[in-house]
Amino acid sequence: MTNMLIIVFAISLIYLSVTERFRIYAGLVGLQGLLLFGLSFLQLDRITLATVLFVAIETLLFKVIVVPFLLFRIINRTGVARVHEKALPSFYSLLFVSLGLLLSVIVAFSMNTTPYNLMFFIVSFFAVYTGLFLIISHRKIFSHLVGFLVIENAVLLLSLAIGSEIPMLLNMGILLDIFVSVLILGIFVMRLRQHIDDLTILKDD
Amino acid sequence: MTQFFIPAAVVFSFLILVIPGKVRYLYTLALTFFVIVFTSIPALAQFITGLPVTGMVSGNTSFESLPFTWIFKGFLGELRFTIDSLSAFFILVTNFTVLTGLLYSKGYMKSYKDTKNSAQFALHYFSYIWLYLSMLAVLTLRDGLAFLIAWELMAVSSFMLILFEAEKRTTLKIAVNYLIQMHIGFILVLLALLITGSDTGNMSFDALPAYFATHNNAGLFFLFFSGFAIKAGFIPFHTWLPEAHPAAPSHVSGVMSGVMIKMGIYGIIRVLVCVQSDLFLIGWIILVVSAVSGLLGVMLAITQHDLKKLLAYHSIENIGIIGMGIGLGTIGLGLHNPLLATLGFAGGLLHVLNHSLFKSLLFFTSGSVYQAFHTRDLDSLGGVIHKMPHTAGLFLTGAIAICGLPPLNGFISEFLIYFGFFTGLSYGSVYLSITLLLAIISLTLIGGLAIFCFTKAFGVVFLGTPRSEIKHPVTEAAAGMLFPQYLIAGFIFVIGFMPMIFLNPLFNLISIEFHLHTIQLSPALTGIFTKIPLFGIILIILVSLILILRQQLHKSRKPEYGPTWGCGSPYISSNQQYTGTSYADNFIDLAQPVLGTRKEFTGIKEEEIFPGKKSFGMHPNDIFNSALGRLNDVGMSILKKLARLQTGNIRHYILYAFIFILVILTLLYLKIL
Amino acid sequence: MIAAVLAILSAVFFPGIILRVKSIASGRKGPGILQPWKNIFLLFRKSSVFGTTTSFIFRLAPAFYLATIICALLILPFPGLPSVLGFSGDFILFAYLLALGKLMFIIAALDTGSSFEGMGANREALYSMLTEPAFFILFGTLAMLSGHLSMQDIFSGFSFSGEFSLIAGAISVYILVQIAMIENSRMPVDDPKTHLELTMVHEVMILDYSGVDLALIQTGTNLKFVLYGGLIANLFLPVNGGWLIPNVILFLLVQAGFAAVIGLMESFRARKKLAKNPQFIVTLSSIALLAFLVVLLLTRNLIR
Repeated sequence: MTNMLIIVFAISLIYLSVTERFRIYAGLVGLQGLLLFGLSFLQLDRITLATVLFVAIETLLFKVIVVPFLLFRIINRTGVARVHEKALPSFYSLLFVSLGLLLSVIVAFSMNTTPYNLMFFIVSFFAVYTGLFLIISHRKIFSHLVGFLVIENAVLLLSLAIGSEIPMLLNMGILLDIFVSVLILGIFVMRLRQHIDDLTILKDD
Repeated sequence: MTQFFIPAAVVFSFLILVIPGKVRYLYTLALTFFVIVFTSIPALAQFITGLPVTGMVSGNTSFESLPFTWIFKGFLGELRFTIDSLSAFFILVTNFTVLTGLLYSKGYMKSYKDTKNSAQFALHYFSYIWLYLSMLAVLTLRDGLAFLIAWELMAVSSFMLILFEAEKRTTLKIAVNYLIQMHIGFILVLLALLITGSDTGNMSFDALPAYFATHNNAGLFFLFFSGFAIKAGFIPFHTWLPEAHPAAPSHVSGVMSGVMIKMGIYGIIRVLVCVQSDLFLIGWIILVVSAVSGLLGVMLAITQHDLKKLLAYHSIENIGIIGMGIGLGTIGLGLHNPLLATLGFAGGLLHVLNHSLFKSLLFFTSGSVYQAFHTRDLDSLGGVIHKMPHTAGLFLTGAIAICGLPPLNGFISEFLIYFGFFTGLSYGSVYLSITLLLAIISLTLIGGLAIFCFTKAFGVVFLGTPRSEIKHPVTEAAAGMLFPQYLIAGFIFVIGFMPMIFLNPLFNLISIEFHLHTIQLSPALTGIFTKIPLFGIILIILVSLILILRQQLHKSRKPEYGPTWGCGSPYISSNQQYTGTSYADNFIDLAQPVLGTRKEFTGIKEEEIFPGKKSFGMHPNDIFNSALGRLNDVGMSILKKLARLQTGNIRHYILYAFIFILVILTLLYLKIL
Repeated sequence: MIAAVLAILSAVFFPGIILRVKSIASGRKGPGILQPWKNIFLLFRKSSVFGTTTSFIFRLAPAFYLATIICALLILPFPGLPSVLGFSGDFILFAYLLALGKLMFIIAALDTGSSFEGMGANREALYSMLTEPAFFILFGTLAMLSGHLSMQDIFSGFSFSGEFSLIAGAISVYILVQIAMIENSRMPVDDPKTHLELTMVHEVMILDYSGVDLALIQTGTNLKFVLYGGLIANLFLPVNGGWLIPNVILFLLVQAGFAAVIGLMESFRARKKLAKNPQFIVTLSSIALLAFLVVLLLTRNLIR
């Protein structure tokens, strides 16, 4: 079951690199949150109960409900274009992401981890690569936010793998990052609505 | 005593220059036939019966065989011509293609009767014979110096052949470019042989095993590889190929592309047989270079307008496929897996034979088209099938074969390579499996791209309606030109339907040359290669049945004829059809960063209500050519700066000599020299 | 052989089910199950119109198209019975036979000298080129999973038990369904109902065909569907340790299910922009690559 969820996570990453609509972006981030919730639930036998409950509730509450809600709200309020522009055509981003998949397999394989952890490692490296790639290849700040969220998901996935070593502090840090980014963007953007174009595009076309 | 045919052939070849024009062709044909017979008999004997010296065939003995040798002892020392099984295979391939080329050239050269004089024809045929003889010499000589002389003769004779249309300035430039690149390859091979010679005392290919036993294998191998790769046409050494093949007359292109570039492959395998360690690394690098060659070759082929340039880029692609087979075989050797090694090398070597066949066929058919229409530009041709149905059918056969589709021969060799890759997937480390998967993806893409490219080439040239007006009458090619093409097509079908005839000796060859025990593998593979032709037969039977059914149904219902549906438009013209450029546009947009093709067009501006005359041009670009051009420019600028030293003033030159003497004296004083 | 017979049997009701499901999904009753075949028989009875620009290629191509598909049908395995014509590596022959049919089809389209057919030909060539890697990666995955190279052995060794087999199986089914849709030019690559230039890939290539030839081509198209359906069905077989009757029933059920799924997908999906098609097709290869890497690590005992 764990492996299935991880693979669906990886497939969602592949789709993230090809889609062009912001709604699907936000939806995929929500889906990833849901998968992480399932995964953290399945780690019950490896980590202490309190930590697991905390991580599960955090993922469910924030990653599945709050974050997508805020994202959709931003989309609706600011009326951002439904299809985002990219510096790179979709075909090439797909090729780069497939290359990233191969690289993450090679890197994770050369690390000699236990069999149980290898899938987690591969997909979290892949997610970091994809998140970074999203940030690099897109122009709108909304896409950068989504890339950042994907990287956060990757870190959480990795921390689930390491299992019994999660310190509470790491979780607090993740939470804070998410809140800061989404809320600030939300507040910032909603206040300065008339200047939206200057904000959403980082560079002059 | 049979060895005296060699000096006899050499002497008789010089007679071509003095024989009168009417007899010249027949004389050349007879001479070629004579040499073919004398070389094929021992080659066939060597190839088919790899005699097991130990007699009994059991699980643990490998094949041994005694190579066939001719020796000349003279005042310059000994000259040895050795035919072992590898040379035998290549000799047989060479003989067939050279013969068909010569048969084809009779009709092809007729169109040059008015523009060329007798001396030029004589020189051309003389160079052709010498190209053939030098190729045979390359295949049979092992001694370093003799080999290099033969290599050089091959380069010079092919140079003379390319220069047949030297009245065009571009041909001259291209031929000189070709000669220079061949010499760069020559220097690399010379260096490699010198290193062997200085180390073991014997500058010959036979001394290589001794060298490789004691020194680093990979370094010297890659030196040899670079030298031979320039001949073979691997990327990035390929820049001479797409220019030289269109510039040469078609029968020469067919022979060059079909056989001469395989001399590079022969050289690589000859060195590979002696390599003893680092095999995995070598195999891996050959695989990567070949995969890149294959992919880039076919991608660049799609962008071409010129029919023969398109075929030349396909040669690069097929060399890539051959290299992939060889790389796989070497990896198999490195992993001590005889199945992988056999599959890889068998696929590569069979593809050598297959490629020589279908590539020469394709060049001959495109030569017929050129002879009839006087143009090679895809976008000016069209509807050729109505005027030249035989040529079209032969081109289609060649196209189906080159795409590696069943039931023809290309499928057999590609199947061997695929099968090797898939077998290797479960064997070895994770890195090997990932590499093999990427190789499978490359081979698949190469196949798909080849189909794309040949549907374009065949469809645009032969089908549809003519895209430009042809003012002179056009007829089918002469029977003399069609005969060798049908011969080649027949051979293609034979290999496709009876592959075991060729594969059994090849498997023996590989086990002899690489010292493997492949006997126990043959039954499994034999089963596969009897079922594949079975499918071919079933396919032909089904097609015939359906056609008969169709015929019967049409008997009672007479078909009508009408113009092609034009969406109700009364004005249907031939320039509404897809041109080669528009067909390839789809793909070129996708692969733009790799290909670098330039599109130039003047678009319609917004304020233009009645659009004026516009133009559109798409220029294919080879990034390696432009890189080479830039390298050239850098070299030229450095040389220009150095040229300032040549002032023309003799007192300056005396000053240079004086400075030189001072420098030598200082070095002597400091005891450095 | 028996798989070929069963496949042809299921081809009888396959296109009818697709049409029926699409009609019901749009709220209509829809034509009878055998209607598409009645149309084909009608076409067999009609005479043909040939374009004046066409040559013998145009007349040969439908025969080649149909013949290659029938040959590929003969390779389809069926569990339990030894395969007469199968051999190691037969999936390579399978893919290349279909490619031969496509090549003949494409050049026949170019034979008419019309810009419509040229459009369809060039798109078909590109899309079929891009689907090939997905097919081969998929079979590489299944070969590694079962340790064999012939279709018979690959499929008889495959079952949905075990977590990774389930994943590999699910991804294989998904990819095969998508490849079948793309090869037959259905949604989201192409819309078979419209005849506008922008949506045509397959439909436009047969624009100039009529009568017997058109009937042959439509027969071929229907058989191509059951060909892929047969591959998907083989993933679900064998059942109950290899008895004949349950296997046959399951085979036919899976084909019917496949037809229904196609009908549903066509009803609820819009066609993609034509320029987005290549990336859609390469996505399949990426997913196949993912499955391959997972199975690779599994067979090397690196993941539990």
